[in-house]
Amino acid sequence: MTGLALSTGQVRIPLPDALRALFGFGADGDVLVVREFRAPRVLSALIAGAGLAVAGSLLQRLFRNPLASPDVIGVTGGASFGAVLLLATGAPQALTPLAALGGGLLAAALLGAFAWRSRMAVTRLVLVGLAVQAGLAAAVNLMIVRFPAELAGQALQWTTGSLYGRTWPEVWAAGGAIAVAVAAVFLLNRRVAVLDLGDDSAGGLGLDPHRNRLGLLLLAVVLASLAAALTGPVAFVALAVPHLTRLLAGPPTPATLALTALTGSLLLLAADHLVLHVLPVHGLPVGAVTATLGAPWLLVLMIRQGRLPQRSS
Amino acid sequence: MLRTEPPAPAAPAPRLPATRRPLLLVAGVGVLVLCAALSLALGSRSIPLAAVVDALSGTAHGGDADVVVGLRVPRTVIGVTVGAALGAAGAVAQGVTRNPLASPTTLGINAGASFAVVAAIFALGLTHPLEFVWFAVAGAAGAALLAYGMARRSGDLDPVRLALGGTVLSAVLASWTSALMLASRRTLDEARFWLAGSISGRSLDALYQVLPLIAVGIVLALLVSPALNALALGDETAQALGVPVARIRVLGGLAVVLLAAGSVAVAGPVAFIGLAAPHLVRPLLGNDHRVLVPGCLIAGPVLLLTADVLGRLVVRPSEIEVGIVTAFLGAPLLAVLARKVTSR
Repeated sequence: MTGLALSTGQVRIPLPDALRALFGFGADGDVLVVREFRAPRVLSALIAGAGLAVAGSLLQRLFRNPLASPDVIGVTGGASFGAVLLLATGAPQALTPLAALGGGLLAAALLGAFAWRSRMAVTRLVLVGLAVQAGLAAAVNLMIVRFPAELAGQALQWTTGSLYGRTWPEVWAAGGAIAVAVAAVFLLNRRVAVLDLGDDSAGGLGLDPHRNRLGLLLLAVVLASLAAALTGPVAFVALAVPHLTRLLAGPPTPATLALTALTGSLLLLAADHLVLHVLPVHGLPVGAVTATLGAPWLLVLMIRQGRLPQRSS
Repeated sequence: MLRTEPPAPAAPAPRLPATRRPLLLVAGVGVLVLCAALSLALGSRSIPLAAVVDALSGTAHGGDADVVVGLRVPRTVIGVTVGAALGAAGAVAQGVTRNPLASPTTLGINAGASFAVVAAIFALGLTHPLEFVWFAVAGAAGAALLAYGMARRSGDLDPVRLALGGTVLSAVLASWTSALMLASRRTLDEARFWLAGSISGRSLDALYQVLPLIAVGIVLALLVSPALNALALGDETAQALGVPVARIRVLGGLAVVLLAAGSVAVAGPVAFIGLAAPHLVRPLLGNDHRVLVPGCLIAGPVLLLTADVLGRLVVRPSEIEVGIVTAFLGAPLLAVLARKVTSR
């Protein structure tokens, strides 16, 4: 899939040549296209897809609810608020990850302020998330209306999720941070597994459930915000991928977590491929594709959940 | 989890002696008149009320008088109409779905109208709000049907499910809307101001065009309001009381769509007025829909005009579109309501 993404485009480069160009060999033109245009984009898709999927999986396990995901609770909306705000100040793009992180944490803080006392019961969390999303979206909207047309287009592209025009500095900055965060999730997977046993058992095993849950929650927020920093808040990847992997591979282990990351990467890359080479409309933001594909998932989940006997959270 | 307990039986209405209700309605109208007066007098240029009165009575001309008659009167008239439509739409939507979180915004109706209008701008090259009207209506109706269908699928209209379904729908429609705006610079320029939701610079002609829709919507809303009281007791009880439940749902839904579509067509999507108005009125007048719906006809414009005047004052001499102000103010409200709905 990665090879396909590297070799297709306006200039078709045979796969072996594309791979060689990736390492700096072959025709100069090929090297330029592959290394400067295609590779950052493909790498962004791979990294952000993995980051979103892992963040979604972590959130769903922490809340023990399949609907908890960074899109639904407003974290990715916060991240795009931060990024658009940065766009407004005209600061260098390499700072985007920091701005998105700030926005995501802001959303998480607002969420906490309104939903904390309920011990983060999921229904309330989701509703408060919608509210946070609405408020931040209004702020973004205000900026889009005030911006000159050029900037407004950029901001809009951002908030819909797009892989267009990614550059190496952004990939390194956000990608590195995401890699660290994903590694942390893998290292902490055992703790999540202990929390899965329930608060009492976790406490019995010497794990403070509240402190750990809060820490892991923050990690998920950071991860989702960073992924959004790279590609914008690509919709529903974080929500759908963990379910997909659960269907394919069963209960969460480090191996399925790796599979989740891989599936996220593949999904985002495939969606981007659709945008670039398959769909007739040119220049669609990738987020529009994932939203269209992902929304039915969410609906199916909602309907299914309605049929299940109620679990306590 | 998602399936919450049925919405809390509304707290027993503070039973007002029937004699005080007209008094409150009169007070409400008074507040509305005050808001309208402020809307005429305040703005990038503040105009003394006496001068406003002179301008309205036609004794003053030029300068301030032109601003009042030419700009602020249409703006205020549109604000009152759109606010009333949205307020009533919210009250009926909450009654029909028996869901305190229902409103044109949370049901995805605004997003549906927005998408339809932007698609029309994109595909047909429309430029004038007058031409948007019927697309807004079609989009609003489509989204309402979808949102209702999604929430209905599994039996009860769960509040969280309905809000989530509407939000998912809004998210998808919004991403399609952005995609269209990104695909064409012209669409971006035409649509982004309209999408912010504003009552400034809109022509009265657009209002006249949708006025029949809004009028029919208001009449329908008032007609179904007694039956909504029975509906609040549950479908079976309502049926036993002889209320044609299905027909009331259809008529009520129709009223919501007409009112929301009419207001979106004139002002663009203005968020949260429909959600907030009933929650403002209920503590004052109680849960009786025969009073609640007319109350929202007054509370809606009060909220909208207040937000609009605020938007003019906070960044003087510039201004913030009313749709953005209401979204800012409405978001915390939704958060507070979320606490209430899920507090048990």
